[in-house]
Amino acid sequence: MASEAFPASRGVKRYAFGWQSFLASNEVGLLAVIAVFALVFAYANPGFTSPFNLYALSRVLAIDVVIGFSMMVVLVTGGLNLAVGSIAVSAVMVGGYLMQVAGLPIPLAVVLAIAFGTLLGWINGFLTVRMRVHSFIVTLATMSIFFGAMILATQADAFNELPRAFIGFGKERVFGFVSILLFVALAVWLGLMVVFHLTGLGRELLAAGASPAAARISGLRVDRATIICHSLSGGLATLAGLMLTMRNGAALPSMAGHIGSDWLLPAFLAPVLGGTLLTGGVVSVTGTLLGATLVTVLTNGLLQLQIGEFWVQLFLGLVLLLAVTLNSLRRAFTWRPHRAAS
Amino acid sequence: MASPPGSLVIKSILRQDWLGLLLVVVLAIAGLALSQPNFLSSFNIYVLLLGFSLSVLIALAQMVIIAIGQMNLSVGAIGGLAAISFAGLMEVVGLPVPLAALAGLAIGILCGCLNGWITHTTGLSAFIITLATLSIFKGLNLGITEAQPFYDIAPAVKAFGNARMGPIPVMLVAPVIAIIAVWVLMNRTVLGRQMLAVGGNPNAAELSGISIRRAVVAAHAISGLLAALAGMLAVARLQLGQPTIGDDWLIISFAAPVIGGAVLAGGHVSVIGTCLGVVIVTLINNALVLYGIDPFFVQLLLGALILAAVGINRYHEVQEQARRFA
Repeated sequence: MASEAFPASRGVKRYAFGWQSFLASNEVGLLAVIAVFALVFAYANPGFTSPFNLYALSRVLAIDVVIGFSMMVVLVTGGLNLAVGSIAVSAVMVGGYLMQVAGLPIPLAVVLAIAFGTLLGWINGFLTVRMRVHSFIVTLATMSIFFGAMILATQADAFNELPRAFIGFGKERVFGFVSILLFVALAVWLGLMVVFHLTGLGRELLAAGASPAAARISGLRVDRATIICHSLSGGLATLAGLMLTMRNGAALPSMAGHIGSDWLLPAFLAPVLGGTLLTGGVVSVTGTLLGATLVTVLTNGLLQLQIGEFWVQLFLGLVLLLAVTLNSLRRAFTWRPHRAAS
Repeated sequence: MASPPGSLVIKSILRQDWLGLLLVVVLAIAGLALSQPNFLSSFNIYVLLLGFSLSVLIALAQMVIIAIGQMNLSVGAIGGLAAISFAGLMEVVGLPVPLAALAGLAIGILCGCLNGWITHTTGLSAFIITLATLSIFKGLNLGITEAQPFYDIAPAVKAFGNARMGPIPVMLVAPVIAIIAVWVLMNRTVLGRQMLAVGGNPNAAELSGISIRRAVVAAHAISGLLAALAGMLAVARLQLGQPTIGDDWLIISFAAPVIGGAVLAGGHVSVIGTCLGVVIVTLINNALVLYGIDPFFVQLLLGALILAAVGINRYHEVQEQARRFA
């Protein structure tokens, strides 16, 4: 019944039938762009395809993908989460304390850290729903609160004697050149694909994002959807934070910059490049994966070409600008009057 | 009508929504003055006013954008870019101070115009556009400076940054002029009214013949100008062209207008309220120092203040609606 009221095609891009629509899809376009850049970089610099660089690339990619997912799940409901970086740092510091000081077993500490991040996300969702204001202002406030509380609690000290087994996991390689972290990211991708494509919950979340008022009238619990998305976002942000901690070898309060704001650009880049709309109701899980891939390949390739590290940020800003502009252009082209009326 | 003009003035003051804030400020000052004898010392007042000078410009830069119902994440990045341009033009190119200052302001206006133009042309949310330009401006800043500060600041700028008349820093001149100018803009000019109209209801504004494009670009240009001014004041105060100027402006830029009663949906801002919001934030900062409380605490408090202010604004809104429908 739910699938009839909210056909999947409304929100999730349905698998297209026929080559034409397949080739026109965002994902294929992204794949082509990634392939072109990868070829150019591989041609310009042989080091690009070296096993070590591929390993380094896959490790960064894994983290960027999960950061992108953590923002994507809130964009689904038309909200956003400025606090992703702040939540990640706060929860990672809790995880670091549990592992290094409290001496908890690693799996338990990891689960507790993710639970803590999920709780922080839940707080965002709860406040957004209760105060009836946009999640922008709520998460702007909580990014400052979470980060401030974390700094107060840790006095800006890092946990740099984490268990070897934890750090070591992040260094594992598969086939000699793929970081094991990438498989973690792919597992998350698979999980989110299942949620948004196959489950009633995913459709509910999308329907709530597409038109909250209509969803409410049809009996969907829109508030619950908002809270679920924010909780999920907090949990995923923490997972990304833990992966970054493995890469850094320590739980650092500064890993996401001032109040976690360094994560904002990668967090928005991946889903926006992938075709997820900021207005809610439309999500592309695979697009986010590919969007993060494009960003990582570009960053890595440009750095290898000895283009100053600092110019890369400018470049990524331009890419974001280009992506949103292209998205709005494409929407203008595919605009159909009968859709506007419905 | 029959009441004497004096009572009219009192009535109009009583009707202002910033009255509650003023009360809070007066109580806070009284409390701090009574409990901390150092609070009213000439040096402490100087420190307070210095903090206020910079913060109020940052807050006004955001408030102008809130007025048109948008947000500007790139206030800090514009401020930083203007700051290092100002310092760099003096050190590397050897431009005289007034020219370098003008160039800094021009860069701010240009960045703002770019924000406004892209936002209006694409019709996309200013949030994502200014997130992108934030990264572009910051990338330019870091690409030019390679994260190294410009140390060679002209003596005149250093002197301006240090000059004080008793407890009053001379650089307070800049924010005072800016406050008056923005107040006049918002309350007494056609452009300001148009900006608020666009923020309140863009469709209605367009139907009544207002050029949305003009209002949006003008608001962003003014925001860029104010941010650039703040960036250059920061150079004068720090006595060096630090590339990190502006990195921590995001929270304060939203906190003060929201505390001051700005409605984030647009259409309603209060210049006096925003100034009082900055005063409250400055007082909190100062109180933490005077009481020897962990300065990290301020981050937590600022966030809580934003939530509280939004909650109170929301409560008023609901009450207003209830009254209207009763």
